[in-house]
Amino acid sequence: MINFVFPLTLCILLLNITTTSNLNAQTKNTDSILAEINTLKQSYESRLKTLETKINELNQKGKTEQRSEKIKGTSSRKVKNNSFNPSIGIVFNGKLADYTKTTSEIAGFGVAHEGERGREGLGIGETELNFSANADNKFYGSTTAAIVREDGADKIELEEAYVETLPGLGLPSGVRLKAGRAFWSVGYLNEIHAHADDFADRPLPYRAYLNKAYNDDGVQISMVLPTERYLEIGTGLFRGDDFPFGSSTSGRSAHSGYIRTGGDIGQNSSWRMGASTLIGTTDGRKSNEDNVTFVGDSSIFAVDGRVILQPTGNSKDKEIILQGEYFRRDENGQYTDAESGATSVNFDGISSGYYAQAVLKTSAAWRIGARYSKMSPADVPAGLAGSALDSSGHDPVTYSVMTDWTSSEYGRLRLQYNREEFSQNDADNQLILQYVVSIGAHGTHSF
Amino acid sequence: MTKIKLVVVTVLLSALWPISVSAKLNIFACEPEWGALAKEIAGNKAKIYVATGPDQDAHYIRAKPSLIAKIRRADLLFCTGASLEVGWLPLLLQRGASAEVQPGQLGYLMAADFVKTLEKPLMLDRSLGDIHPEGNPHIHLDPRNIAKLAKILEERLSILDTQNASFYQARARSFTRDWGLLLARWNKRLSKLKGRGIAVHHRSWSYLLAWSGLTETAMLEEKPGIAPTAMYLNRVNNRVSTKNTIAILRTTFDDSEPSKWLMEKSGVPAIVLPFSVPRLPKEGSLAALFNNILTKLENIAVRP
Repeated sequence: MINFVFPLTLCILLLNITTTSNLNAQTKNTDSILAEINTLKQSYESRLKTLETKINELNQKGKTEQRSEKIKGTSSRKVKNNSFNPSIGIVFNGKLADYTKTTSEIAGFGVAHEGERGREGLGIGETELNFSANADNKFYGSTTAAIVREDGADKIELEEAYVETLPGLGLPSGVRLKAGRAFWSVGYLNEIHAHADDFADRPLPYRAYLNKAYNDDGVQISMVLPTERYLEIGTGLFRGDDFPFGSSTSGRSAHSGYIRTGGDIGQNSSWRMGASTLIGTTDGRKSNEDNVTFVGDSSIFAVDGRVILQPTGNSKDKEIILQGEYFRRDENGQYTDAESGATSVNFDGISSGYYAQAVLKTSAAWRIGARYSKMSPADVPAGLAGSALDSSGHDPVTYSVMTDWTSSEYGRLRLQYNREEFSQNDADNQLILQYVVSIGAHGTHSF
Repeated sequence: MTKIKLVVVTVLLSALWPISVSAKLNIFACEPEWGALAKEIAGNKAKIYVATGPDQDAHYIRAKPSLIAKIRRADLLFCTGASLEVGWLPLLLQRGASAEVQPGQLGYLMAADFVKTLEKPLMLDRSLGDIHPEGNPHIHLDPRNIAKLAKILEERLSILDTQNASFYQARARSFTRDWGLLLARWNKRLSKLKGRGIAVHHRSWSYLLAWSGLTETAMLEEKPGIAPTAMYLNRVNNRVSTKNTIAILRTTFDDSEPSKWLMEKSGVPAIVLPFSVPRLPKEGSLAALFNNILTKLENIAVRP
């Protein structure tokens, strides 16, 4: 029995001792842990406090920032490293053209290079490079350079390079001043870059009278009047170097004026109309591969009209655009035609031309269009008989039909057929396949 | 020519003649929902012009002459922003608008600048379709955004027209209170819709889905703004069934063919939901718009 009791007590004792020593150690440990926790707690608390104050500060700041943001207004432009770079856009355009006639001359008119029929076969048209941005709160700048193939070489043509005032300048509301080189406000199409046209080529009046488009050096002031109905007026002063002028000695020999108005027809349709003048003197306008020279006064008067019908109110689905322009030119001066031998023949005559076109959007991707253009040359004096200015009583006419497919706002493929009757009993049948693709920033198109 | 000059000069002079200036604030709202909200806050203290209707896709509007004349007189532009109006608003701003409504000014209020936009693209490339760098612009179909914008608009109006500030504040307060009650009621109705699947033609409904707890099971356009192709629709058809999708949504201005085709193939009903309120001066309220949308969705959700 004893043998059993002793070890048992010993065990209990030992157990007791170990547990108490354990307990003692444990209390010691807990104390130090508690102390540690306390110090930790204190340090965290102080940290939390600083964080809290920081958060509060930030919140306050955020609130005031939000407030000032609301007051200041907002801008859609994000600030990144290159955000201040100008918008850049490139327009590619290429054609495959097939003509039945070897030459094409608009009888009765001195037509310069850009107004001529395009190159036959495969070839790219002008590649347009555009850069534009606000310079500051007062000025906007834009430049468009076209790389073109001319006489067997690639050349850079500066189509546009202008600065324009922004409302921040403090001009009266609706007033804009534009200076530099630009497609000025004459007629409807002149201001529009050719890549945005509804047809692969410009209508006859633009080819004969404006060498495709008038983009002289100059200044133009315009104003949208504070009327219920849209009414815009403008006037410009130009160097007089670009067709229909040329070789200006004074450097300010042309001026223009225009008035435009427009409105809605019901909810889904709109119209616009305009009248414009382009008047000036030329000291030597070259045309017909430099064979024909005109010196004198040239005045153009144009009216334009455009109606857009949208059955659903959405330009994306179905749309019909009717458009027409009438030009009248009064010229008084001397014509020289090196080919016919006419030298400085006095000329005083009035000619005119117009086009009318309809474009129907049948679905989001497809459009069809038809255009008719006609020119009425002036009567020529005896000295110019047989020259390029003599149409032999024929009025040049072009019939065009086209269909195009739009991949998106940025891509278009077009097939166009033209029948050009430029002289008596002589027609040129033309087939043009064209693509127009743009990358990068792409300015909104005119209305 | 002299006759023409005379006519031009006469028109010029007559047009420059002083015209009566109305003292009321002119608000130019790009979309009808902002016109309706402006009406709620500004009441008859402002003249509100709404540029587009609920059946028009604000992506594709032409900068027409009448809009230039209207923006010319605007004191405040109230639009969606986030590049929704990028095809026409910049041209209008450039052509006729005053300095006070240019970007960054007090008179330039773009709603999307004040809410968190969804679906911000990670990559910008035009091959991805008509994507907006700022994210999905159709923010008005989350009613919580309407409440936010009511407050923002009130603040703007109060600064632009200090004389009537207390009027705007009072109207905004009562609108926000009523809207809060409506929101609570709508939120209760959402329980039937939460977690249900929806196919959309275009992502016009993302904010509605985000608010209501519906989930998008498919988009009919493979890439935003690019018309659906037959090949892609076939793939969508494999994904969509009456089990996972209660409806195919489209607006009145979306092409109806793709969703009708998918309805025939999959049996999922294709429905048109109103995208916005009627265009002022036609009567229509934002509350009615959301009621209408919810009722239509509920009707479709209870079907077996």
